[in-house]
Amino acid sequence: MTISTSMSRRIAISILMLAMALTSQAQMKMFRMEKDSIPFFRGFSVSFDLVGPAMRLLSDHGEYEGALRVNLHDQWFPIFEAGIGKANHENDEVTGITYKTTAPYFRIGMDWNVLKNKHQSNRLYAGFRYAFTSYKVDIIREALPDPVWQSESGFGVEGMGCSMHWAEIVFGIDAKVFGPLHLGWNVRYKRRIAHNDGDLDTTWYVPGFGTNDSDNLAANFNVIIDI
Amino acid sequence: MRKVAIFLIVVTLAACTTIDCPVQNLVYTNYALKKAGGSADTLNTDTLWILTRRADGTDTLLLNGLCGTTATKFSLPISYTQPEDVFITLLADTAGCSYIDTIRIKKENYPHFESVDCQASYFHKVTAASTTHNAFDSITIHHSSVNYDVSNDHFYLYVKKNRH
Repeated sequence: MTISTSMSRRIAISILMLAMALTSQAQMKMFRMEKDSIPFFRGFSVSFDLVGPAMRLLSDHGEYEGALRVNLHDQWFPIFEAGIGKANHENDEVTGITYKTTAPYFRIGMDWNVLKNKHQSNRLYAGFRYAFTSYKVDIIREALPDPVWQSESGFGVEGMGCSMHWAEIVFGIDAKVFGPLHLGWNVRYKRRIAHNDGDLDTTWYVPGFGTNDSDNLAANFNVIIDI
Repeated sequence: MRKVAIFLIVVTLAACTTIDCPVQNLVYTNYALKKAGGSADTLNTDTLWILTRRADGTDTLLLNGLCGTTATKFSLPISYTQPEDVFITLLADTAGCSYIDTIRIKKENYPHFESVDCQASYFHKVTAASTTHNAFDSITIHHSSVNYDVSNDHFYLYVKKNRH
């Protein structure tokens, strides 16, 4: 009975250790460099987004955004993104509210090429970002009539200082067109980490994040040039 | 063709926006009639009118002839930016006597913004409340924050029983 229990325990421990080894092996696979003759440092690429300017053109807010990405062995891609977010919503036809802001934002993070053959010209990415913006906003509502006392009670907050920190999970593709030119798109899930919304306790458009909420979904279409 | 259709569906869905304005977007104050012991009071056979003076000097009626045994509370608007709201009250009994009282509500006003799609408004913090003790013994602040949440009674109003 004792021998049987001891053996069962040993088998259980062995299975557990095997499972742990397999799990950690799978986790390490993403971070482990493939052994081949390709050098570790593979160069830089710069990119700019086309969705943000299109949004700015077609609506009252949008972004102009560029990125610098390092290629490490076609597997890891540390990335720095910077942009300028702009909103100019003047005298809303229903609410009469004017909202203006223009401010830079910054993101830093890393993409992983999740394709099995990492050295081909097309890539499939998964990545993360940490992002930050500090912005000033004008929120103006002129001539807000008090319905009972019938006095004019408009307000205007100009240069209200705000800030936001957020994290992003990114999935995207990148396809080589010709020479150093690539085109790619990505979708981003943005999650607010911390925010200061100034004296009014809330804002509408946050540069780089989009409309102010606890989370947001966005997409970019990038023109990428290897340098 | 199928891929184009899927792409168009995705783009159309991505282009949808939502407007999350609060459904309850009125800011007003609730007054509860109370007895000295704290239980609910009622106007019974008395009738109450309340009016205020507008910015242009004219009067406007805010509460028109509240009466009866079910009259235990009422609501009044609150001004957007005045530092103090003044309400003139007229309480009439069945004996034909009328009692004029003045309720004064001092407050701080804060502009409230939700989004460019939602109407701007003002929230308030009540700092003081008083009566002239003709029709009401006293008024107390029960809930000082006045905003879209109107589930609370903001003031307790104690009707004077021995009026002369």
